Amino acid sequence: MSPPPTIAQQLAAKQREISVAEFFERNRQILGFDNPQRALLTTVKEGVDNGLDACDEARILPDILVEISKETDDRLRVAVTDSGPGILRREIPNVFARLLYGSRFHSNRQARGQQGIGISAAVLYANLTTARPARVTSKVEEEEAAHVLELVIDTQKNQPRVVSEDVTLWDSPHGTRVELVLKARYVRGRQSPYEYLRGTAIVNPHARIVLVEPDGTRVTFERASTDLPPVAKETLPHPYGLELGELGYLLKASKRSGLAEFLTKDLQGVSARTARELLAAAGLTNSAPPASVSGDEQDRLLRALHDAPLIAPSPEGLSPIGSILIKRGLRNVLGELRPEFYCPPVSRPPKVHAGFPFMVEVGLVYGGGLPADQPVQILRFANRVPLLFQQGACAITNAISNLDWRRYGLDQKGGSGLPSGPALILVHVASTKVPFTNEAKEAVAEDPEIDKELTLALQAAARHLRTHISRKSRRDFASEKFAIIQRILPKLAEKTSHLVGKGVPDLTPVITRIMDIVNVETPFESDKNGVRAKVEVTNYTPRTRVLELFVEIPPDVFPLAVFEPVPDGVEAALGRAWWTLPKLGPNGRTALSFSFPPKTDVEANDLDWYVAGIDEAHILGAEPLPGDWDVRLPRTIVEAAEAAAADAAANGATGEEEVDYDAAEASAHTSEED
Amino acid sequence: MPPKRARTPAKKTDDEEPVKVRADALAPTLDLAEQIYGQLDRGEIPRMRLPLRTKQNISFQSREGVWKLGRAMGTRSARKLDGALMLLRTFYLVDFINEMAREGKTSTLRELYYISEAWEDAKFHGEDESNLLIEDLEVMCERLREDFRLHPEENGASVIGDLTIKERNRKGVVKKINCRDDVGDGGYSLPFNVEKEKIEFVSTNAKFLIAIECGGMVDRLAENGFDEQHDAILLHLKGQPARSTRRFLRRASEELKLPVVVFTDGDPWSFRIFASVAYGAIKTAHLSSYLATPSAEFLGVTASDIENYDLPHDKLSEQDIRALQAELTDPRFGTAEWRAEIELMLKNGKKAEQQSLAKYGLNYVTEHYLPEKLTEMGVL
Repeated sequence: MSPPPTIAQQLAAKQREISVAEFFERNRQILGFDNPQRALLTTVKEGVDNGLDACDEARILPDILVEISKETDDRLRVAVTDSGPGILRREIPNVFARLLYGSRFHSNRQARGQQGIGISAAVLYANLTTARPARVTSKVEEEEAAHVLELVIDTQKNQPRVVSEDVTLWDSPHGTRVELVLKARYVRGRQSPYEYLRGTAIVNPHARIVLVEPDGTRVTFERASTDLPPVAKETLPHPYGLELGELGYLLKASKRSGLAEFLTKDLQGVSARTARELLAAAGLTNSAPPASVSGDEQDRLLRALHDAPLIAPSPEGLSPIGSILIKRGLRNVLGELRPEFYCPPVSRPPKVHAGFPFMVEVGLVYGGGLPADQPVQILRFANRVPLLFQQGACAITNAISNLDWRRYGLDQKGGSGLPSGPALILVHVASTKVPFTNEAKEAVAEDPEIDKELTLALQAAARHLRTHISRKSRRDFASEKFAIIQRILPKLAEKTSHLVGKGVPDLTPVITRIMDIVNVETPFESDKNGVRAKVEVTNYTPRTRVLELFVEIPPDVFPLAVFEPVPDGVEAALGRAWWTLPKLGPNGRTALSFSFPPKTDVEANDLDWYVAGIDEAHILGAEPLPGDWDVRLPRTIVEAAEAAAADAAANGATGEEEVDYDAAEASAHTSEED
Repeated sequence: MPPKRARTPAKKTDDEEPVKVRADALAPTLDLAEQIYGQLDRGEIPRMRLPLRTKQNISFQSREGVWKLGRAMGTRSARKLDGALMLLRTFYLVDFINEMAREGKTSTLRELYYISEAWEDAKFHGEDESNLLIEDLEVMCERLREDFRLHPEENGASVIGDLTIKERNRKGVVKKINCRDDVGDGGYSLPFNVEKEKIEFVSTNAKFLIAIECGGMVDRLAENGFDEQHDAILLHLKGQPARSTRRFLRRASEELKLPVVVFTDGDPWSFRIFASVAYGAIKTAHLSSYLATPSAEFLGVTASDIENYDLPHDKLSEQDIRALQAELTDPRFGTAEWRAEIELMLKNGKKAEQQSLAKYGLNYVTEHYLPEKLTEMGVL
């Protein structure tokens, strides 16, 4: 009788290599394939991300075609075609049918995909759920025909297996098409391929994206820009973001003769002097070749690196969208909603989190066809990829929820949580390493540095929104007043005069009492003959006004402006000009204008108007002169401003406190029972 | 267009003077115009002050037993677009009614609504708006809409019984009419204006007036000769009574010193018909002293009648129950008797129609039910 097996022997008998199939099964959720709806989205996403990355690297304007068709009740065929450079025949099996294979895993720059799991996971999912191979067609420019390969993944060895191979003609010079049949479900609405592609189109205005849905509906997101985004440069790893294993790998791979050279040339942010100091701190000498550094020494070196005052990581590895393209992308995709306001996009300067550079960009759109009584729409992006899941767990959502939007003109219960109103907020976090909450890369994880930047960027956008809303409500207020004085009052005077049998009285005093504002109209015209800006100032107040009018023009176009009349003062470097207006009695009006040559890059929104000599409550269409302009005002204007301020203070004290009859009635009637 | 009176026979007696508006009826409307004109002339923002008709400013005067407006005032000012529009509308309306007065015309509310089509910005967007504005004008001028020559679409009640009145008809002719002998089976139909200049009470031998909810019941009483047998005037309320009906009841009660009893179905909605006859409605609180008849009494059908007479009944619906519960908090039903009746109805969950009395035959209502109830109330 042989002795019974020891526990170690029993355990050893159970130990075996886990196949990728098993790994996949167990990690479906983190890979994004846990249900048929999500599996479809993940597949589309991986295909499209790969296509866009390939185009960007090859400096090609992306043309992406996503076709989804029904195979059987629970099976869909997904085909993603890109106009990228194509993939060499020998690389195709590895790229599509081998997990953890990719060109970007070790590169230190911003890209959509990184781990090399994505598309192969989709291929594996298709293999496992339908037993159908992936069909990949790819053509590179230097070859005549495209290769067509049918691939499956050998799940025991994590190796690609080519099922069949052929060549075919391809009507464009280069590109790749991957076709999968998988167990999946097509839905519309939130978290749908449509939503994902719309988001992608917003942040990639240089791409043309077409979606063909199972029912044949064809949705096209046209290209809004032919400017390729700048290529993110590949940068060296920064020590603050290094972990021990990675440092070991870099040391082993290094060809440098000594450690000091390794530190200054294979890493970024380490100066020669710092290198010497931290080697001393770690008790290491420069003479040792990097590959020979022992485990214990690596540990000391890393600790010294983390403690050393290093130059911040370079932001060159980042690829932000940029404010022009954010605006263009939003306009392109949201155009039919006719939003009334596109906030100037906010691009924060690059900052660093845990050794990795990052930056935050925010776009905000308001009004028009956006639903007014629902929570604001949030479009989250990480490295130009839309995030559709886990909105509640995302640092971006939290940063939005933590801001008190009531101060900026949106509704928000209790001053926290998602605000509601006709607004859409776009937030992009770009980094060489975005911290995600999980491997499926669905939500940005909390990080104090990123949170701070998110908040600052959101606040900047929110301030623009506040200005817009307050200007708008002032405008609505004024248009109501104009309706009263232009349409109602003359008729009221006519009717009552007729009833009492007397002549119609002069209405000027009543008109100025009702309006009680100085109105600044700034019509702006742009056509092939040039760009003309006009200003009309009307005094609808009961008192005579003495005013100074200021305009601020982008300094680069300021020298092109021709003013009429000539300003009383200019500060060209800051793009500022100003005039002392003629004295305006009640109902008095004056106008001035200036023009630019044809095709000058200036819009109505680029001009800012300010007025001195009056208080804020009595001016419409221009802002009171900011305190920091430091302009020497004529004595008359200073006196007028003082008088206006005193007047406003006096009026505030004796404000009417009467019940508005019609408002009281209206609220009473809505609550009456019978 | 020549005035109608040109075609009337040229028999000039006192009784045949054309209809004249009370001399002072429209003067207050012109005072309003004078007021606004003065403000415009002085360079002031035009505005009017008027009593608020919000719930907070309407209270039940238990002493008089009617709804009344309180003293809170609101301002309608041309400083705001809504206010300016309402001011403009007010004077289009004032102009219109003064024009009607000159031409001897009247207009229905619906016609007024269409007339306003020509008022451009000031036109009404629904009958609610014209109604509210007329109420405003009633309050500000302390006049009735009938004074403004405006009347609702629905016609007033019909009256059957020994009551002689003088009506000045549309041709300006004064007719003496006995509401039993001079009318057909439909009875005498009340015009929209039942003020003194239109209708005068001459004489009556009746001892009380019975206001009835449904036409079928009025016919039953008339056919059975109830009015002659018991010296009663029958009045058909036609559901929720029109203003002229309520005004007529008020005048009959005040000037003829007739007791008024109200006979309706036995359900929460009929209770409200009684309440608006007796105590007025929230919407007409400013006119309660013209329209309400606080001495009117409820005859039935009561919740106890349903039990005592074992009447065929229906189950209370959800809405019925909610209406009854609301009535428990309505000050008009604040008396112990009413509370007991409402609570009984809620408890039994039953409602019944007037005509369910026919269970015991066609004569039962006139021979048993009404005499018993009226004796109990001390009317007979």
